[in-house]
Amino acid sequence: MACLHDHSCEDHDCSSNWSLYKHIDLPKVSALNEAVPGSAKSVFKPWEHRLNSSEEHLESNEGDPELLVYIPFTSDVKIKSIAIIGGTDGTSPSKMRAFINRDGIDFSDAQNMQAVQEWDLVENLNGLLEFQTRYAKFQSVASITLHFPDNFGGDTSQIHYIGFKGEATQLKRDVVATIVYELMPNPSDHKTKAESGGGFSQVE
Amino acid sequence: MVLEATMICIDNSEWMRNGDYSPSRFQAQADAVNLLCGAKTQSNPENTVGILTMAGKQVRVLTTPTSDLGKILSCMHGLEVGGEMNLSAGIQVAQLALKHRQNKNQKQRIIVFAGSPVQYDKTMLETIGKKLKKNNVSLDIVDFGEDEEGKLEKLDALFASVNSNESSHIIHIPPGGAAISTALMSTPVFTGDGEGGSGFAAAAAAGGGNFDFGVDPNLDPELALALRVSMEEERARQEAAAKRAADEAAREEKGEPSNSQDATMVGKAAEAINNASEPMDEVNALLQQAIALSMENSGSDPSVHDSEMAEATNEDQDLAMALQISIQEAAKDSSSQSDMSKVLEDPSFMPSVLASLPGVDLNDPSVKELLASLQGQSEQSKQKKEDNPPSDGK
Repeated sequence: MACLHDHSCEDHDCSSNWSLYKHIDLPKVSALNEAVPGSAKSVFKPWEHRLNSSEEHLESNEGDPELLVYIPFTSDVKIKSIAIIGGTDGTSPSKMRAFINRDGIDFSDAQNMQAVQEWDLVENLNGLLEFQTRYAKFQSVASITLHFPDNFGGDTSQIHYIGFKGEATQLKRDVVATIVYELMPNPSDHKTKAESGGGFSQVE
Repeated sequence: MVLEATMICIDNSEWMRNGDYSPSRFQAQADAVNLLCGAKTQSNPENTVGILTMAGKQVRVLTTPTSDLGKILSCMHGLEVGGEMNLSAGIQVAQLALKHRQNKNQKQRIIVFAGSPVQYDKTMLETIGKKLKKNNVSLDIVDFGEDEEGKLEKLDALFASVNSNESSHIIHIPPGGAAISTALMSTPVFTGDGEGGSGFAAAAAAGGGNFDFGVDPNLDPELALALRVSMEEERARQEAAAKRAADEAAREEKGEPSNSQDATMVGKAAEAINNASEPMDEVNALLQQAIALSMENSGSDPSVHDSEMAEATNEDQDLAMALQISIQEAAKDSSSQSDMSKVLEDPSFMPSVLASLPGVDLNDPSVKELLASLQGQSEQSKQKKEDNPPSDGK
C-alpha cells in the first residue's frame, strides 16, 4: 500500500500513525439521521481494515444526505489529519465541518454554529487522501463532532471509514463524566461476587 | 428503566368539553396525564417530565422537564378549556423544550394527546415527523375524542414518518368504554417499549386485570377473601332461588291444589331445607326444619302438608342418620370412659404399670402409700355404688 509521503512503507508501519483509533471511546459514539441505529460505530476500524466494506457502514435516511457523528475520546488527543472513505455513486459526502468538545449538538445547532474547521471533500474510495487540520486548534480534543451537510448527488450519504491521525496525551478533560447518584437504592446495581457466582461475598 | 426526558402536550381546546369520556374529555385526559407522570418518574428517578398546552391564544409551556412530581401535578390545576389545538406548533415547542434539557444523556420523547380535529395537512405533518426522527426524538400519539374525517390518516402518516426502530407509538382510544387512563395503562406508552414495564404500571395493570376481584390476594388477603365469600354466597342464593322456582313448577305439575301464598311459604321451607342439606350445622338445619313445619301449620291444605312432610322426612333422613350415628358414638365414648376408670381402679394393674416405669421402686415407702391410697379410693367408690342402689330401692 502506497503512502502519500515519499518513502516506501517497509521502514515503518503506517498504521501506527493512525493509532488514534485506539483512543476512541466506541460505546459512546453516536450519530444523528442514521438509517440503522448504532451503525455509526462500524465506521471506526483499524487502518488495515479500512477497506473491508463487507460489514455495515453508516448510511443516512432516505432522501436526506445530512449526517452528524459525535466521537468522544478516552483521553485528550491532538489531531493532525482526518481520513474519510465514502460510498459509491455520489453517496460520498462533499463537505465536512468539525466542532470540538461540545456534546449534544443537533442539526439546527450544527447549521447555525461556526465550525472550528470546514473541508471540501473529494470522493475517496481507498482512504489514502487525508485532510489536514489546523493543528493549533486541535490541540486538546476530548470529543469531536463531524457534520456532513451534503453529498455528491446521491439519495443517501454513506460513510465506510473515519480515521484520525495524531498524538494522544494521557490527560483527560473531565474525570467525572456523568454522575448518576442513587435517589432510590436498586439492589441490582450492587451485585456482590456471591450473587454473580464465585468468590467470597463482598459488597463493593 | 430508560433515562428519558418527556414533554406531554395536552389538548385543552373547546372539543374537550364533551362528555363522551366520563366525566368530561378534559378530566379523563388530566387523569391519564397524572398517571403517566407518576409512571415515568417512578420508572427511573432521573427521568424528567414537562407539560405544555396546545390550545388557546398560544402554545404555553406549563413546566419545563422536571423530576418533581408535585410541581407537575400542581400545574395541572386551573387549566382552562378553550380555543383550537395547534398540533404542529405544540410539537415544535416540545422539541425545543427537550433540546434544552439539563441532562443531555436523557433520550427525548414527546407524548401528544390529540382529541380535536387536526387542521394541518398530511405533508406538513410528515415533515414535522421527519424532523423529529432526524433529531432522534420519539413520539407517542394518543388519539381520542373527536373522530373527524381524515384525522386518523393524518395521525398515521405522522406516526409513520416519526417511527424509527419501534420507539414511537400511536394509540387509539374509542369513546364509551374504559377510561383513557385505564386504556393507556396496558400500552407501551406506560410500560416503556416492552422492557418488562415499570413496577407502577405493571402493578396497576395487573391489579385490574389478572385477579378476579381487582384486588391482589398478596396485597390484601382479607379483602380478597371477603369478596370471594360474598360472591359465593350470592351465587348460592341465586341457585337456591332458581331451585325454588323449579320446585314450584314441579309442584304445579303434580296438580296439587295450593294457593299461591302456601306455595311460596312451602317453597321457602323447601329452600330452607335445601340449604340445610348442604354442609352446614346440624342445629341450623333442625331450626330451619322447625320453622318450616310451623309455617306449614298455618297453611290449610293437608295434602300439601303431607307431601311436605314426606319431602321433609326424605331430606331429613340423612340428618336423622347423622344424628343417630353421633349419639351412638357418644355412648361409645362414655362406655370407654367407664372402662378407663375401671382399669385404673384395678388393684393389680396399677402396681404393674408403676413397676414398668423406670426409677420407681415398688418397695419405696412413698410409692407403697400411694398405691394404698388408690386402692382405698376404689374400695370407697365401690361401697358407694352398693349403698346407692339399696337407698334407691327404698
